[in-house]
Amino acid sequence: MLESIVSYGLAVGAVYALIGITYNVMFTASRVFSFTAGMLGMLGGVLGALFIDQMGLPVIVGLAATLACGAVIGVVTEIVTVRPVLKSLEQHLYVLSTLAFALLVQQFTAIEWGTEARPFPRLFKIEAGLLDQQFWLPLLACAVTVVGLELLYRRTLIGRAFLAISEDNYAARALGLPEQWLRIASFILAGMIGTLAGFSGGELLLAFFGNQSILNFYGFVPVALGGMGSNRGALIGGLALGVFQQTANFLVGGVFAAVAVFAVFIVVLLLRPEGLAGASGARRV
Amino acid sequence: MSVRRRQVLTGSAAGAVSLASGLASPAIAANEPIRIGYLPALTGPSSSTGVAMNRGTIFAIEELNAAGGINGRKIELIVRDTQSDPTKAVNGAAELIHRQKVNIISGPGNSGESLAATPLIARDGIPQLHPCWVDTLIDVKKYPMAFRNAPTNSQIGAAANHYVVDVLKRKKVAVISDTTGYGTASVETYVPMLKEKGAQVVYQANIDAANPDLKPDMLRMRDAGAEAIMPWSVNAGFLARICNTRGNMGWDVPIVGQTTLGSGQTKALLEKPEYWNKVYSNNFKNCCYGADGKLPAQTAEFAERIRKAKIDMADTLLWWIASGWDAPRMIAEAVKAAGSSPKEITGYWNQLKGWPGVYGTVRFTPEQHNGFLDDEVVMCEVNSLRDGAFNLAPGYGS
Repeated sequence: MLESIVSYGLAVGAVYALIGITYNVMFTASRVFSFTAGMLGMLGGVLGALFIDQMGLPVIVGLAATLACGAVIGVVTEIVTVRPVLKSLEQHLYVLSTLAFALLVQQFTAIEWGTEARPFPRLFKIEAGLLDQQFWLPLLACAVTVVGLELLYRRTLIGRAFLAISEDNYAARALGLPEQWLRIASFILAGMIGTLAGFSGGELLLAFFGNQSILNFYGFVPVALGGMGSNRGALIGGLALGVFQQTANFLVGGVFAAVAVFAVFIVVLLLRPEGLAGASGARRV
Repeated sequence: MSVRRRQVLTGSAAGAVSLASGLASPAIAANEPIRIGYLPALTGPSSSTGVAMNRGTIFAIEELNAAGGINGRKIELIVRDTQSDPTKAVNGAAELIHRQKVNIISGPGNSGESLAATPLIARDGIPQLHPCWVDTLIDVKKYPMAFRNAPTNSQIGAAANHYVVDVLKRKKVAVISDTTGYGTASVETYVPMLKEKGAQVVYQANIDAANPDLKPDMLRMRDAGAEAIMPWSVNAGFLARICNTRGNMGWDVPIVGQTTLGSGQTKALLEKPEYWNKVYSNNFKNCCYGADGKLPAQTAEFAERIRKAKIDMADTLLWWIASGWDAPRMIAEAVKAAGSSPKEITGYWNQLKGWPGVYGTVRFTPEQHNGFLDDEVVMCEVNSLRDGAFNLAPGYGS
């Protein structure tokens, strides 16, 4: 039981964490909470299966093609659903625009790909076991992403520019930073991370259009738990969510496992509305 | 199939003539086509069955018209795709009845759409023949002109329960479903039926079909002493995970349940082909291979005809096509024998005794519009699929 809780819990948790990070990357660049993160995760699984299983591309080429598609969808998301509503952020129109776009893509996927789950290819031809690739692949993808983002944000000029526009959009523009291009770059990055989440978790979650809503919600939980914009918070929140969910599966099972997750989520938010890793925001009056 | 403005106007003029002259009416009626309003789900999430049934229906209409139609009258099939959407099924039914003036409605093909459209069709007094399984869709008091040439959900559950308890002799059963309306309703209906048969339901649960790991639930079933698993779901991913988890646990227990267990989508998601062993799904006696490895004679002849007609069988099942083929032939026979008015069709079917369909034998009475016979709902071995049909499960004489 314990090994199953740890292996499944951490693997699924890593996928949730990656989706949470996808939310964060888009949020820090635009202050927009884009509900396309789950869609990107779903597409990672579907496109991976399409490129590798259906079209017969090598795994590495399939991965590159999936990430490239994620990048393109990131750009389209920014242009179509985010840019037009940036001037009226306080009206929260982005909820409608991003959700509508995500549903549009999901329906298109359902029509073209089908509504039944399809198999995701085994990426490495090695025998299944307790430490199977379906468990460590999402963890590896998560680790690479978190380390890569840390290096990008701390060690590179473009990373510091990302942080600058997330800290103070107006000041960054006043310093001459190309805010629009940086925002597009952030959405490209988010598109790649989101599709990587679905690709690395494809063997667990399968290539299924219905994964979108699950990932949208369960990917949001670590962001809320960890604090908006905090990738470390999303990582810890995602892994904790996965392990807790799997523990609840064993202890209570059935639909009660989902109830247990939601109950804990609500209790945590009631106790710490800013999230476990977030700081309380002070507002000058 | 589309209707142009001029055709509508011509039709209106003909209607006006028949109203104006009592003599003209029979002559026009004798020559005008029999109009069947057809409501399949050809697109959308629940369309795989509808697409297959549509192939059978189109084939039957072509055959009937090639043979001269019904008493010299051609059959016109007016199709409205419900897109797997109950709202569109209602709109389609209304258009077929009020604008297209059909003689009868065939469909809708999915229960959710039929639940929405049947009250409307009944209110307008149009005969309806559908293949949907939800029990409440047939009620001779509420819907006196609605008939079903398919099994009910109760018959489906009863056949699976019979197989587990009476044939496999398993008394401790785990009954599970996904969290959909179909899944939860099935568990609620079938568990009391199992208990009535003397079985002990040692585990009962509604499980989130999106859960990638079913091991916790499967371990609980095993610890509870389950000797058979009965999953009720149309979600191929969920059903495949049950088979995979059972295989990975090395648990040698039969899985008995709904037809989706034997679908190609479920097969594609299996980690190993042998995980499909000892899995038995509902099927229909006429569309299964018997102990001699052959289909019943009438079905074999039908299968040969669809093969010669080059109807695509690679992505579908024989019973889906047979169901679609039977419906227009049932309608044609009723019109040929009794006439095309609602009262004539309904009156004929109310006395129907053992109509020999390929999908199944159909029998109606004025009090019973569920036409399928209990003993024709059977179980099959899912790993025996060839040419769209399965072997009867062990215990049915095979």
